[in-house]
Amino acid sequence: MSDKVKKDGGLRLDAAVYSGEALKLAAFVFSDRVSVTLKPAKGGFEVLFKNAAPGFAPGDYLNEALNQQCRLDLAGKNSKAAGMIATKALLSAAGSARKKK
Amino acid sequence: MAQKKAAKKTSAAAAVPPQLFWRREGADFLVTNDFGHYAWLKKKDFDALAAGKVGEKHPLFAGLSAKGFVRDRLDFDSLAAKWRSKNAYLNTGPGLHILVLTLKCNHKCLYCQAAAGGAGARDTDMTPATARACVDFAFKSSNPGITIEFQGGEPLLNWPALVAAVKHARSRAKAAGKELKLALVSNFSLMTEEKARFLMEHEVSVCTSLDGPADLHNKNRCFSGGNSHAVTLKWLKYFQKKNADQPAGIRVFKPSALLTVSRYSLSRHKEIIDEYVKAGLEDIFIRPLAPIGYARNLWDKIGYEAGDFAAFYLKSLDYILKLNRSGVVLKEKMASMMLDKIINSRDPGYLDARCPCGAAIGQIAYNYNGDLYTCDEGRMVGWEGDEVFKVGNVFRDSYRKVMASDATRACVVSSNLEAQPDCARCVYKPYCGVCPVYNYEVQGSLWGDMASNDRCGLFKGIFGALFARLKGPGSEALLKKWVEK
Repeated sequence: MSDKVKKDGGLRLDAAVYSGEALKLAAFVFSDRVSVTLKPAKGGFEVLFKNAAPGFAPGDYLNEALNQQCRLDLAGKNSKAAGMIATKALLSAAGSARKKK
Repeated sequence: MAQKKAAKKTSAAAAVPPQLFWRREGADFLVTNDFGHYAWLKKKDFDALAAGKVGEKHPLFAGLSAKGFVRDRLDFDSLAAKWRSKNAYLNTGPGLHILVLTLKCNHKCLYCQAAAGGAGARDTDMTPATARACVDFAFKSSNPGITIEFQGGEPLLNWPALVAAVKHARSRAKAAGKELKLALVSNFSLMTEEKARFLMEHEVSVCTSLDGPADLHNKNRCFSGGNSHAVTLKWLKYFQKKNADQPAGIRVFKPSALLTVSRYSLSRHKEIIDEYVKAGLEDIFIRPLAPIGYARNLWDKIGYEAGDFAAFYLKSLDYILKLNRSGVVLKEKMASMMLDKIINSRDPGYLDARCPCGAAIGQIAYNYNGDLYTCDEGRMVGWEGDEVFKVGNVFRDSYRKVMASDATRACVVSSNLEAQPDCARCVYKPYCGVCPVYNYEVQGSLWGDMASNDRCGLFKGIFGALFARLKGPGSEALLKKWVEK
């Protein structure tokens, strides 16, 4: 299933490219500009836009969805290194906890 | 020795190169790795490296293997030491503590991000008691050395809080055995001999803004009470003279200045740099504008594209190097900090280019009322009504609670380049950092989208200019001098 623009201005998206998680995350990023509704559809998702602010373009939402998808894919590969760095940074900043006697 | 051992163990492995980052620049390729090493390669050499065909007989073998680019010659001890040194900040807590003594200001700068109110504004002064509480909080940091920076607004509009904080910090440092640096960022318009003496006696370094020649400076930094440029120069000279004289019993630091580049500056790089030289300054910190705070409302007048800034920066860098060749001592500060990482594998303490960024874990901004933010930019977002970057309050929250707050953790996770698409494979990753506040303000999420992120474009422009000059033997030697150990 390829990406298609529907008559109502919504989009039909291929699950091979976008995960539901990425589409939801992108919807949060645009929550101050447009109301996004996601529905499962055969082989993918239907995305509907309502109450769009002036200047909003569905393509921007798709760019963000791809960005989020790349981030999720990268997390699958790099999460170990990323987790070690973040944990080290946070623990060092917090300092050592005093042991209770 | 370590290299030989490693070679024995892995000699049977395929000779493909270890993880490296690369970028094509014209006919040449820049390669870097996580240890912070870099090399410029011709296409045939890059192809050979990528194909794992840089063998012992290759002319670049010795250089590339010493830098960790050849898989069966990795000296893990040395490379790990490099990585540790470059990322030393991962072992400590916040070192920079920004005390916003007041939101009042007697200037109305075009690009102000500080959410400053007029000089007569009420209820935005930090009380001396709050100032002391902020100092106490700063001393809870796990960092063995801390810097307390006094900002505003114009901090000299709240002299009693400044005096209280300075005296308390000095006495706490003695008791705690921590290294303490104190710094004041001021427009100097309210400076007096008496205040200057107090600052010098308590070893408070001073930093001001100088945007270039008088007409440009005064256009950017509107001061209804007089000539901002003249006042700035007067006190710069004053502190420079005191620094040269070093009065008995007092240690006086060299004063420094910051340049904020507005659209009006873009065509005047020579005049601006000449003004710094004329003012006797040995550093110039060329800082781009960010569309945050007051600057965002005027962005169509004073803002610019990342490419415009990169071009300005490149011209400025070349002009400074030209002056260096004729004997003038002048360094660009952002370049110096980046070069410190690139050449010395050292952490220069530049909080904007860290992985993760310095939000809360490297710096804390203390608002006039004791509220704590990830950084000063985060505080400005709070002033606009969105408290997403607030991490606590000095009176209500413990240090550990602040370090474990939602905002702190979110900023650490979202600014981790290992988890950022584009950044994770970028050739400049070993030296760069992203800003969750910028991403949030400009792109709507802490993560941002680097493909269309202007700050990313701006940093790429700066790194591009630096690496291009590190390729030329003449400019390379000059740049290396800037960060000589």
